[in-house]
Amino acid sequence: MTPLAGASTQGLVGESDLSRAVDEAAECTALQPLQGNLFEIRFRAPEVARRAQPGQFAQIWVEQSHIPLLRRPFSFSRAQPREGVVSFYIGAVGEGSRRLRRFSPGDSARILGPLGRGFTLPDRPGRSVLVSGGLGAAPFPLLGERLLERGEQVVWVNGARTQSELYPGELVPNGMAELVQFTEDGSQGRRGRVTAGLLPSLKGADRIYACGPNQMLAALFALISESAFEEGGAPQLEVSIEAPMGCGFGTCLGCAIPLRPGAGGEGPVVGLCCRQGPVLRGSLLDWERLLQQPEHLG
Amino acid sequence: MITITPPFDPRVDLGRGLVLANPIGVASGTFGFGFEAEALVGITHLGAIFSKGTTAVAREGNHPPRIAETAAGMLNSIGLQNPGVEVVARDYAARWAQWPVPVLVNVAGADISEYVAIVQHLDGVSGVSGVELNISCPNIAHGLDFATEPGAAARCVAAVRAVTTLPLVVKLSPNVTDIAEVARAVADAGADAVSAVNTYLGMKMALHARRPVLPGLGVGGLSGPAIKPLALAAVAKVRRAVGIPVIGIGGIATTADALEFLVAGADAVQVGTANFNNPQASREIVEGCLAYAEQHHLQRFTDLRWQEQDHPGSREPSLDVD
Repeated sequence: MTPLAGASTQGLVGESDLSRAVDEAAECTALQPLQGNLFEIRFRAPEVARRAQPGQFAQIWVEQSHIPLLRRPFSFSRAQPREGVVSFYIGAVGEGSRRLRRFSPGDSARILGPLGRGFTLPDRPGRSVLVSGGLGAAPFPLLGERLLERGEQVVWVNGARTQSELYPGELVPNGMAELVQFTEDGSQGRRGRVTAGLLPSLKGADRIYACGPNQMLAALFALISESAFEEGGAPQLEVSIEAPMGCGFGTCLGCAIPLRPGAGGEGPVVGLCCRQGPVLRGSLLDWERLLQQPEHLG
Repeated sequence: MITITPPFDPRVDLGRGLVLANPIGVASGTFGFGFEAEALVGITHLGAIFSKGTTAVAREGNHPPRIAETAAGMLNSIGLQNPGVEVVARDYAARWAQWPVPVLVNVAGADISEYVAIVQHLDGVSGVSGVELNISCPNIAHGLDFATEPGAAARCVAAVRAVTTLPLVVKLSPNVTDIAEVARAVADAGADAVSAVNTYLGMKMALHARRPVLPGLGVGGLSGPAIKPLALAAVAKVRRAVGIPVIGIGGIATTADALEFLVAGADAVQVGTANFNNPQASREIVEGCLAYAEQHHLQRFTDLRWQEQDHPGSREPSLDVD
């Protein structure tokens, strides 16, 4: 990239509050294997559980050794302050997640969190639509619970390539107005992509929360921007995006994300997924540049 | 008879009045400009903060992916994302001026005139306690040229030396034929201290995609515990080559790691990549080193230094390696 004025990460779109994060010694209390390589793991981490908000994430130090070296970031799937427990919905796809998959109750890890900016919770009840793809389902059990507690009407539209990658319906919080499941191959729920069958569910939505692959999020942003909504205009969209992350608290500059020109000042700007995100208003991201980013291969 | 042990003095004198309260600093590129993670890590325990690489004008940095994990290490290709020296000298330095910990600004230029211009901008700015010349950033074009050729490195250092009275640390690249030669050249040209080492050039391949994980040429800077033995050897070699203070860097994650660098001849050290996976690493290492000094009745940390003359068999290895 060429040198640009305003290439600063300071004072743009708000930053995560690091003073709320703690690095806590956590004990695994349960690991529930799910279909495919999916699992849910729970840790006793009372301070983190007390502070975690929907959409925020934790950096888990799987083993305090040099391999794997870095912590692994995971969104909170649940946070139960009274029990002092946090849960993560994870696919065993890499070195860190595969090691976590082998955890047993009693095993320990360090959990640094909560990190990042989470979803904005509404001041007044209305209708929320949650849209997720694949592992993007991870933050929505917690978000769904917290929205329902506030009297919100919640619809969750969730998709995956195939059944073995789909968030299990039995783990979805009770009380949702609707749960619509899609698989691209039709192995469970409706056949097709979430974004293709989404419009009917968006009717009457006050806000949309989305998490999933960048392609899906970009398609959703375009869909909302291009659709005609009735009076009141388009619902507000917040997306949780993913970027390869080193530290999780803004010092390694590994998780750069492109922000829309003018989002934070003059010229194009670079944000950090871990500080300005992972949750951002859809309109703040430079989707074109985001989609140009090559896939991280390892 | 009563023996009185003189009190332990943890301070490190880097020259030109810059005295660190203890030998533990944080390495450039692993601690931002000091305040990003201040709420999480704190700063008051540190001997010094070495800032993110600062350039003449703002840089957005490289396209992602910028990092890749390797065995006991990580590759980075951040590309010097920073707001430029004007913002650093005006906004950031004002905050540093209130801090009890000295901040040294890591400076990266594209050519000698740019190094000179950046340092001139920083000279005399309250809050800037020194500069660390980054003549060895692997992630921008030309950055390595200064580090690999002793003559060019010396010219760069001499030019900067001529325009500032700030303490001047020169950060050495390990990606050279003979790091000792570069160390001697920059010491002779007026460096107050050298820091060694910057990252090692490295690659990670994605076999399934049959290409490197990092973009462009696929090369990044390797850091972390993987490079510690390499860095120790480089520091020992630099120690033999120069009389000025040496700041050891490379894979320091624990108290023992830091102390080993002091044994190898470093006067101070920088904790780098460990800051990413353990934000409290620098604090634990400061406390650990002070506790070690007390337990072992040190008077200065330099008491730890390996006295090579005690080992008459030791000499430069004949192996053609650095």
